[in-house]
Amino acid sequence: MTKIKKSRRDFLKAAGITGGAAGVAAVALASKPVKAAVPESGKSSGYQETEHVKKYYELARF
Amino acid sequence: MGRSGEDVPEGTNSPSHNEKTGELAIPEEDRQRANLYGLLARVLAEPMGDETLEVVRALEGQSDENELGAAFATLGTVAVRTPRGVAEEEFSALFYGDGSGGEILPYASYYLTGFLLEKPLAKLRGDMAVLGIKNSGISKEPEDHIAYLCEIMHGLITGAFNEPASLETQQKFFETHMAPWVGRFFSELEGAESASLYMPVGTIGRLFMAIEAKAFEMAA
Repeated sequence: MTKIKKSRRDFLKAAGITGGAAGVAAVALASKPVKAAVPESGKSSGYQETEHVKKYYELARF
Repeated sequence: MGRSGEDVPEGTNSPSHNEKTGELAIPEEDRQRANLYGLLARVLAEPMGDETLEVVRALEGQSDENELGAAFATLGTVAVRTPRGVAEEEFSALFYGDGSGGEILPYASYYLTGFLLEKPLAKLRGDMAVLGIKNSGISKEPEDHIAYLCEIMHGLITGAFNEPASLETQQKFFETHMAPWVGRFFSELEGAESASLYMPVGTIGRLFMAIEAKAFEMAA
């Protein structure tokens, strides 16, 4: 498990995800999110069969 | 920052349980993934403004040994000779066109079905509800717009919506809603006739999406 984690991490680093130009620009630009997607109001982790959620499914079923 | 999260088990590898430690618990490479998603969301949601252009212009001359870094350096070079007005025109030509849609339609539904507002959007809305994410209403775009999906990935990684999502959750979202089409989308953006500033953006997206797909495979 830890071995897999390490190889994934090494892969991401080697691919240039961290550091370099990618790092500089991404840090600077990600600090101001677009905020088109936001959390559901209130505490909402995981699935909750609320009216709100049901409404989503209704709207989504077209 | 008064909370130290003392009731959170040490050394946990499950970010979804680190509610109190929040972003501090996110490994560096994952924070950087989130940043890249944030960057893509920003430049694909709206034309680059002065601030964004200034940031990317500073990348000119950056020497990077890997492809991704090189694409960022190219973005810097193009940005240096692109005034804001021209950047706006390019964005419009690419994504809006002359009132009849731009050169590129950056929506999952379009890429997967050939039509807008189709089943992939419905499925996405269902999954968003399950994840506790809703549309803020500040964007007129449907949720299956590429910028929107990048923002969701950003939020899943950082915990902007609830708490940081597990790698499994991130992977499921990525593989369901992005992997089937984003490679094609970014390649087309890269080669679009109107793309100058967005040519390297297309390259960055294409490379990053491939890196993501491979990294998720390694974690699975």
